[in-house]
Amino acid sequence: MFKTKNFVKMALVTILAALFLAGCGGDKASNESSKDVLAQIKEDKKVVFGVKHDTRLFGLKNPSTGEVEGFDIDLSKALAEEMFGKDVKPEFVEVTSKTRVGLLNNGKVDAVVATMTITEERKKEVDFTDVYFDAGQSLLVKKGSKVHGIDDLKKGTTVLAVKGSTSSINIREKASETTVLEFENYAEAFTALKAGKGDALTTDDSILYGMAEEDPSFELVGGTFTEEPYGIAVKKGNTELVDELNKALKSLKDSGKYDEIKDKWIKN
Amino acid sequence: MDFLAPFIEVYTPEHFKFLLEGFGVTLKVAAISIVLSFIIGGLIGTLRYARIPVVSQLLAVIVETIRNLPLLLIIFFTYFALPEIGIEMEITTAAIAALTVFESAMLSEIIRSGLNSIEKGQIEAGRASGLNYIQTLRFIIMPQALRRMVPPIVSQFISLLKDTSLAVVIALPDLLHNGQIIYAQKGSYVIPVFVIVALMYFIVNYALSLVARRLELKQA
Repeated sequence: MFKTKNFVKMALVTILAALFLAGCGGDKASNESSKDVLAQIKEDKKVVFGVKHDTRLFGLKNPSTGEVEGFDIDLSKALAEEMFGKDVKPEFVEVTSKTRVGLLNNGKVDAVVATMTITEERKKEVDFTDVYFDAGQSLLVKKGSKVHGIDDLKKGTTVLAVKGSTSSINIREKASETTVLEFENYAEAFTALKAGKGDALTTDDSILYGMAEEDPSFELVGGTFTEEPYGIAVKKGNTELVDELNKALKSLKDSGKYDEIKDKWIKN
Repeated sequence: MDFLAPFIEVYTPEHFKFLLEGFGVTLKVAAISIVLSFIIGGLIGTLRYARIPVVSQLLAVIVETIRNLPLLLIIFFTYFALPEIGIEMEITTAAIAALTVFESAMLSEIIRSGLNSIEKGQIEAGRASGLNYIQTLRFIIMPQALRRMVPPIVSQFISLLKDTSLAVVIALPDLLHNGQIIYAQKGSYVIPVFVIVALMYFIVNYALSLVARRLELKQA
């Protein structure tokens, strides 16, 4: 009798746990069709951009001032002004590769400008604007390394990458024999490379240039082997907002303001 | 001396201020979660100990479910899944809620086993001397059980304080998060930042252990 009771209890626990887990993976598409984001921006007189806080050159928080600085931030500010004039205030919220889609879907962020590569897979979850920055994946190695390009990544070599990024998926496809070690963020991956935990570090060239600039004993090799077009992501179904962003992006490019911002951050 | 250079470079007053801001968030989140989970966990543990039909079983199922899930998953769930059913929370609130749910389940087990460790004969003795069940719990069982529970409860609090760092995944601006931002400025900062962050966690947690030891000695 006692045993049966225990068994029932165990079964119940298992079922509940399974339900809980199923809830976690909840289908994003079944999200209640919420208000139009563009209308909400105009009503609130503020637009919330999701940006990185830990990525050099693109979005990096300055501990001394508390301000976030980088290409993504300056571009967001310019876009907001282009679209809404001085009426609407741009605000910045931290996103990571893991949280950015969730934050768009639950409305905490209006647009994600966070070194996000446009992929077919991601297009199913969010809507992208036109490309705002063309990056390509490359390799960073210690000067004098035997790795000169993607072809040198054979069996027995180790490549360091960052979790949740397209680059870790790409490298597994392009160099299937190499071992991939993934880290939480770029600083940790770079430290691992310096400590000799891998033969090369792979991510977008734009980010690698920042590392090579910081420590000249490292260099980029082999050019780029993928195209990583960065796009601005908005919640699915907000075509009007995407159109507005594209229009603003185009006029920033036409007026030379885009190049001005780009030259300020990206030296290569 | 090359090894020491980044240490000197990274330990600036601005960086310390930034780390302390993060530490403030860590301590705030931990303190609120400790108080809430102690109250909720105490209640659940006692109710389960009292073997009230239906209520105790229901609580057992809930506690077992939560206790057997990774805290990281609960944090994700609180921040990303709950808004889908209309429960919106700020990052800090979500972190506190997730920690409280998880730690309440853990604490309720400590409290329940603490109560169980007192011989049943004492309840019978209490009842025989004219106290009702609640009075027996309150005046006879609880004071003895609490004494035995102090060490495991404090060690649970210490792990709660350290677990707050898991909320980095939802970008809670806590000590570890701010440390990560500092070393994102420059790769060579990673190790010096780890050292100082570890030291900060250690000081507070060690202080907690010392308090626990004092409490034990007082009661002995």
